Amino acid sequence: MFSTGSKYFFGITLFGALSFAVYMLLIDESAIGATALLGAVAATALLTTLVLSTRDGEAGEAGVAATEDTPTSSMWPLITAAGVVILLAGTITTTAVFLLGVVVLLASLFEWTVLGWSERASSDKAYNASLRKRLLHPIEFPVIAAVGLGVIIVAFSRITLAISKDAGAVAFIVIGLAVLGAGVLFSLRPNLKRGIVIGISTVGALGIVAAGIAGAGAGVRDELAEAKSEGHYTHQDCGAEKSKYFDKLPLEVVSSTASVIATVEIIDGKLTARAQGIPGEQQSITIPRSNPSSVMFVNKDQEEHRLVANLGTKVISGDVKEDVVLCTQMIAEGAEQVLILNIPKPAMAGKPYTLTVPGLAGQSIEVIVP
Amino acid sequence: MRRMLTVGAGLSTSLVLAGCATNAPQDTFQPKGPNAQMIDDLQKPVFAVAGIIGVIVTVAVLYAIFKFRDRGQPIPEQTHGKPALEITLTIIPALILTVVGVFTFRTVFDLAKTSDTEMIINVTGQQWWWEYDYPVQNEYGITQPIITSGQLVIPVGTKVMLRQTSRDVIHSYWIPALNGKRDAVPGRVHLNRIEADEPGIYAGQCTEFCGLSHANMRMEAIALSKADFAKWVAGQLKPYTPPAENTLAKEGETVFVNQCARCHQVNGMKRADGTAIIAAPDESVVSGAAPNLSHLMSRNTFAGAMFDLLNKSCRKDVWGADSESFGAKYLQGVSEDCLNQSDLRGWLRNAPEMKPMYVNPELLTSTGGKYRGMPYLGLTESDIEKLVAYLLTLK
Repeated sequence: MFSTGSKYFFGITLFGALSFAVYMLLIDESAIGATALLGAVAATALLTTLVLSTRDGEAGEAGVAATEDTPTSSMWPLITAAGVVILLAGTITTTAVFLLGVVVLLASLFEWTVLGWSERASSDKAYNASLRKRLLHPIEFPVIAAVGLGVIIVAFSRITLAISKDAGAVAFIVIGLAVLGAGVLFSLRPNLKRGIVIGISTVGALGIVAAGIAGAGAGVRDELAEAKSEGHYTHQDCGAEKSKYFDKLPLEVVSSTASVIATVEIIDGKLTARAQGIPGEQQSITIPRSNPSSVMFVNKDQEEHRLVANLGTKVISGDVKEDVVLCTQMIAEGAEQVLILNIPKPAMAGKPYTLTVPGLAGQSIEVIVP
Repeated sequence: MRRMLTVGAGLSTSLVLAGCATNAPQDTFQPKGPNAQMIDDLQKPVFAVAGIIGVIVTVAVLYAIFKFRDRGQPIPEQTHGKPALEITLTIIPALILTVVGVFTFRTVFDLAKTSDTEMIINVTGQQWWWEYDYPVQNEYGITQPIITSGQLVIPVGTKVMLRQTSRDVIHSYWIPALNGKRDAVPGRVHLNRIEADEPGIYAGQCTEFCGLSHANMRMEAIALSKADFAKWVAGQLKPYTPPAENTLAKEGETVFVNQCARCHQVNGMKRADGTAIIAAPDESVVSGAAPNLSHLMSRNTFAGAMFDLLNKSCRKDVWGADSESFGAKYLQGVSEDCLNQSDLRGWLRNAPEMKPMYVNPELLTSTGGKYRGMPYLGLTESDIEKLVAYLLTLK
């Protein structure tokens, strides 16, 4: 009754059902995980039914004798063993290594299972090999291509992070031109020897990977290392500016600059605000309660300036209060930086919230929180 | 077969007749302002062209199905390619789409215009209600920010710019009679212009699925004459008047301070020591906001415009008023006689039972114990009696 294929899918279905039960009982009762597992079980159950109903393509029924030859040599046992080792290593190192082990183990078990299944499909080795290819090549080629591309991208990113900005641009152009040149050569000379094509491609890929490994070993360039060590990406200190470098996206939230609720500018020593959708310059801006709102500060003055948000006081303990102040970093003429304000309460009567710039006496933008 | 045809014809007729309803408050084909009119002027011709083409294609397909149905005849000669016909059938739709595209783009750009804005209102969506705040605009008598919810009040014949955003998930603001829909997205400010030709109530609904009570996230735009709008503004700027001592309402104020003021702001309310009571909804609610209840009884709805504050007869009186008398009736607000006691008391008794919200304490671990709506407060009937008396004073 059970053919080779149906046993395989039946096994996966059973395994999926057990995973579903374990997940629901011991791990999490969330609907998302349970739905995913149940969906997988339903899918494999359907495949099991299909394979059973077609009797595994009637391979056995046709009377083609399964091979009794010994299995061909395979790399998958070795990779499976490596996957187990990586998985175990991940349990004592990091989650990423553990997940890599899981992926390697599952992939190799899948490949090994399909290989074993195909080798027993018939006594014709060529047919068995074609069966395996037909099943796995549509999966293997895209996966290998994606992994290869990912390795190249990561390696190239390590190179650009290690060298200076200008050198990074040059490297990008040079490597891009080299890839383009190789592509043009391959297309213009279709009869080029296979060995030459493989050689050029291998040398190029290995070169980038090797350079990437070297770049990772060297670490990021000095200014990035310094910015990271001083927390430039998150700090909004209002005191003396220590840092030489700053980032225009202080909270690393790219979307924060996509839509600013207001833009505050210094032009000719005058502080003004422009609110989105409101024509003209404003001396007050309205910010909804408890809603992170981006205010863009643009310095068009010759001096370096920072924007300071004065947001009242907060109680530290008992009668001890502390001023709530947020700042951008000191930015030079022409630079801009976002300040994200999330204000949960309106200002106390007589003590409005304000945006000010140290050094510009008597000027402020009122922040109204209704 | 005959029965199926009869049922089908009956259903089709019902659908066609339903399209003729005149008392459909969210009908996209009944524009009440220039922006909605622009959309209407575009959509009707497009629908007409699409409808004619649809009928032609349907008739042609049905004719081919009937005429060339299988009657055992031999398969006709198979040909591949009729360049002249194919080019014609490509060019005609392309031309139609080009014409539609030109008018569509013109309308889109006209609707995105901001240079002629006359009034600004900030609109913030959150699960599952809309907050409106009116920045200071002295030309309209708005000398202090006004904050309200559920009902958007605008003056007629005024180009109003809604600056829309959201505190939690994506919502979409749509009042069909006044303009098309526009998403309210966290971290972004989207502009949406509306204008009403005549005084009246214009209904709308959130049109981006936003969670459990998405279907109950409604809104109403109230258009008032300029004179009535000025009265409304003056009413919203009136300072807080505490209830008289030794009244049920005064006891209700105490209940409100203890139970409701943690999340709901009533501007001007003070503690016994004279300090202002500032609500802190950010400590209890995921979105960080709860409706500001100052002048609650000047509105006609509550709970995200899901329930009426007016009872049926009074609401019918306001909704059915002609444009001349509408403003005066709306500005009367909600009196004790007109109050929808049943729904308001039910809401205070057990809000989650009346509007689906994520407020089950057992399911709040993922939000750090914060609610996504009004929780069950366990108020006694006595507390509810006092609260209703107090809320009636918030005019």
